[in-house]
Amino acid sequence: MKEYTLFAVISVAVAVIADFALRTRILTKPIFWLFMMVIFCFKLAVNGYLTGALIIIYNPRFFLGARLGSIPFEDFLFGFSMVTLTVIFWEYFKKKA
Amino acid sequence: MSKYMIVLALSLCVPLVLSFRLPLGIWRNFRALFASLALILAIFGTWDMLASRMGHWYFNPDGVCGAYIVNLPLEEWLFFIVIPFCCIFTWEALHYLKAKTK
Repeated sequence: MKEYTLFAVISVAVAVIADFALRTRILTKPIFWLFMMVIFCFKLAVNGYLTGALIIIYNPRFFLGARLGSIPFEDFLFGFSMVTLTVIFWEYFKKKA
Repeated sequence: MSKYMIVLALSLCVPLVLSFRLPLGIWRNFRALFASLALILAIFGTWDMLASRMGHWYFNPDGVCGAYIVNLPLEEWLFFIVIPFCCIFTWEALHYLKAKTK
């Protein structure tokens, strides 16, 4: 498997496991998926610009090559795990405080 | 300002202003905010440094200001603070709107 693809899949698995391990359970809440849809729209703008304007350039050796517009498929997994882990940590530390 | 820096500034401006204007509890939970952003910066910054070193992707000198920390542009480091902040803002703002429309 291509390396970026592999890392991106692992990161999503880590985020899902973290949600159970830290007992935040955000993935089971409907509002999380509404949140993800809102973030997705902003992601298309930000990530679309960064990749479309060639500010970040990807090496074809390491990703599948599938893109939505200019955004590599793997970036959606990277984004999903980063955004999900952010909310998991936030909810976890808020509850702990 | 670099193109990448403009993207970050545009992303941050509305959430940052509204985080002070709306009772979202973001700054009240400053320690949780700091801990969350620090962890994301550590995890995804590490991934990014390694991936850049291995040549998974690179940054166009034309789009960044030219300041680097290790092998990543300053903007890329700021990305891991700005975007998670925007996410926490959006998350809390949605809960606020939900409570208000009930």
